[in-house]
Amino acid sequence: MFGLNKIIPVEPNINFLGLRRNFLIFSILVIFISIGLLSIKGLNLGIDFKGGTLIEVSTKNTSIGELREILSSSYSDVSLQEFGNENIILIRLQNKSNQESIETVNSVKNLIQDKVVEFRRSEFVGPTISSELLFRGFQAVSFALIAILIYIWLRFEWQFGFGAVVALTHDVLFTLGLLSILNVEFSLATIAAILTIAGYSINDTVVIFDRVRENLRKYKKLELVDLFNLSVNNTLSRTIMTSLTTLLALVSLFVFGGEVIRPFALTMIIGVIIGTYSSVFIAVPTLLIFKFRPQDEDD
Amino acid sequence: MKNYPIWKSFTVVSLVLLGIIFAIPSIIYDENSENWFLKNKINLGLDLQGGSYLLLEVQLDVLYKEELDNFVDSVRLISRDQTVKIEKIDIQENEVIVSFPNIEKIKDIRDAFFQMYRGVTLQINNNKLSIKLNDEYRKIIQDSAIKQSLEIVRKRIDESGTKEPLIQRSGKKRILLQLPGVKDPERIKDLLGKTAKLTFHIVDNGNTSALQNNLAPFGKIIVPDMYDENTKYLLDKRAVVGGENLVDAKGSFDQTEGHAVSFRFDTEGAQKFGKVTTNNIGKNLAVVLDGVVITAPRINSAITGGSGIITGNFNAQEASDLAVLLRAGALPAPLEIVEERSVGAGLGADSIAAGQIAAIIGMVLVCIFMTLIYGIFGALANISLIVNLFIIISLLGTIGATLTLPGIAGIVLTIGMAVDANVLIFERIKEESLKQTKVFQIVKNGFDRAMSTILDANITTLIAAVLLFAFGSGPIRGFSITLSLGVIASMFTALMLTNFLVYMYLSFANKKELKL
Repeated sequence: MFGLNKIIPVEPNINFLGLRRNFLIFSILVIFISIGLLSIKGLNLGIDFKGGTLIEVSTKNTSIGELREILSSSYSDVSLQEFGNENIILIRLQNKSNQESIETVNSVKNLIQDKVVEFRRSEFVGPTISSELLFRGFQAVSFALIAILIYIWLRFEWQFGFGAVVALTHDVLFTLGLLSILNVEFSLATIAAILTIAGYSINDTVVIFDRVRENLRKYKKLELVDLFNLSVNNTLSRTIMTSLTTLLALVSLFVFGGEVIRPFALTMIIGVIIGTYSSVFIAVPTLLIFKFRPQDEDD
Repeated sequence: MKNYPIWKSFTVVSLVLLGIIFAIPSIIYDENSENWFLKNKINLGLDLQGGSYLLLEVQLDVLYKEELDNFVDSVRLISRDQTVKIEKIDIQENEVIVSFPNIEKIKDIRDAFFQMYRGVTLQINNNKLSIKLNDEYRKIIQDSAIKQSLEIVRKRIDESGTKEPLIQRSGKKRILLQLPGVKDPERIKDLLGKTAKLTFHIVDNGNTSALQNNLAPFGKIIVPDMYDENTKYLLDKRAVVGGENLVDAKGSFDQTEGHAVSFRFDTEGAQKFGKVTTNNIGKNLAVVLDGVVITAPRINSAITGGSGIITGNFNAQEASDLAVLLRAGALPAPLEIVEERSVGAGLGADSIAAGQIAAIIGMVLVCIFMTLIYGIFGALANISLIVNLFIIISLLGTIGATLTLPGIAGIVLTIGMAVDANVLIFERIKEESLKQTKVFQIVKNGFDRAMSTILDANITTLIAAVLLFAFGSGPIRGFSITLSLGVIASMFTALMLTNFLVYMYLSFANKKELKL
């Protein structure tokens, strides 16, 4: 209609695979840096996984400094942070035991009662729960990877499954590394974001693999590198379109969706970009390792 | 309408209409509606409507320890009956080891003990009798404790005036509570944090040396005062009567004593209470709540009416809360709060507003983008997208799912991802249009070729969503529900509705060639 669809040619011919070495080196480097960051700096664990108390208050005519002064006289490990705007303040405390925390919430509330308009939220996660949540989170992510591997294996050849899981693992580690650098809070919602990224990235990969499989049947004489290039090019406009519409929705969520959901939206934005990159530059080149032509014709 | 079967049009149109009609209750959102149709609205999660989520853990260790103490008392009684001396009693984490100076009657004691506690593991080793809490015995204690606790928690929450609470067992030793609309979670936590074990004991004023040495003789206990830790009382260990015999308790006000709790016993309790007060005139009677003495008034006369009042330094709220606790009964073991998430109504409303804005703006952006890229076809996909949103809302409403803040995020994400199926189809159509000129054949091939890709791609997303549901908790489950429904709805809207709309458009516009 406006001719914008012509920006991406119907049959583009970009040599993605020719660049594979550069991107492979880049990704391997990133993965090593990510693993390094995760083991040295670690993630900014929220109370879901670290345990502790979080209280969100809205104040009137009270600066964060004043509140800090009141609270730090009673608690040494209290940290305060503005949340969205200067009238909303997050108070975080580490507690050693469950009982202590219950008393803490009460006494914090009493200390700052007259400075506060509304107690918007109070959360407490005990030490046993936080380690359980962390364990379950890991369980969910690993099961998801395995289940996706099995599905791809059933629908494609096992080599495709391998390529998909390499790409997925890459996405998860890359995203975690960025979360560590950016110091984004790692919460239950982040686990949800990572699983969704896994789902999204695999979705992207599957669309390209689907085309690879189709082209493998169609062009029996074509060099594998050329065939993969063709497949990536065939699906390129779809890959870009879907990433863009998803990013549009996520940016809207990031900007307008409120402070609580912002880390989730940010994680998803990072993940969608990485997932799109990995489908083209990691998942497909991985297939080259195998130098295969499928022997079977499954339809 | 070339090639398009009537039944298919009918199915598509009626499903779309159903999707829109059943979204109405959630869009109107009349909270108190009793209308059968308007009742099918989305449930808002605690993070959106405000309320408290609490996870409580029953402190079973306390019970196991109590049971070991019971073992000790019983062994003492049995030995006394059989006139056997005990050399030493050793209480360990999981067992009691009783040493006797000689082994003659040790088997009799074991048998007598077994009569009282069937199921425990008893072992004789020379002059030592070991009584062990085995796993089955612990499980019996555990199950009955959780069952009782659930019942008491339910009563207490009901008494506190919370509407529509959800109270259920979670795992082996936890109780999960969802309390919508609770404004003061601290008060609820206070109510749940007390065991509320009430007992009445005769005070032993004759033995001051025991108090000085802080060593209670057999059959007695030392209990501190509620208000002053240094004041201690020596009491008969055996309670005269306990909270289980109460039938009613109320906060009351007494001119001379201030706020108090008045109570009434059942027949059995009244008889016991009457008998003890008759026989012990002049002595003091201690009222013990959760291991501390609230008050220990002198018995001036026999109390046979079966009712009385407990005074202490209460204020009105404390007196009425204590009455609530006494009416609901005592917990078998203390409850510990291991997780709490309370959201005020203000934050919830803000989250809903922000979520709506994000969804609408995301939707508008995606629609503009689709129209820019695909023109008329993009506009058709936009209709599918909007219908998709209605279907998600109506499905959430009719299956009674709970919408949480991450759930809203799932909907916004779905808006972005739902057009994927349409994009796949349009790209295929674009490719097909290079190969041939027959308009309807192009469209048919486009949809057919895209089908298997759409299925593969969406099923992988569904796998992730289902696992999220299986391992996630509370709000995160809300996300996986909206994501799954969104994915399913998007497959329907793309493969059926967009398909229908494209055919309709091509028939009516009578297009001879197709350029995308």
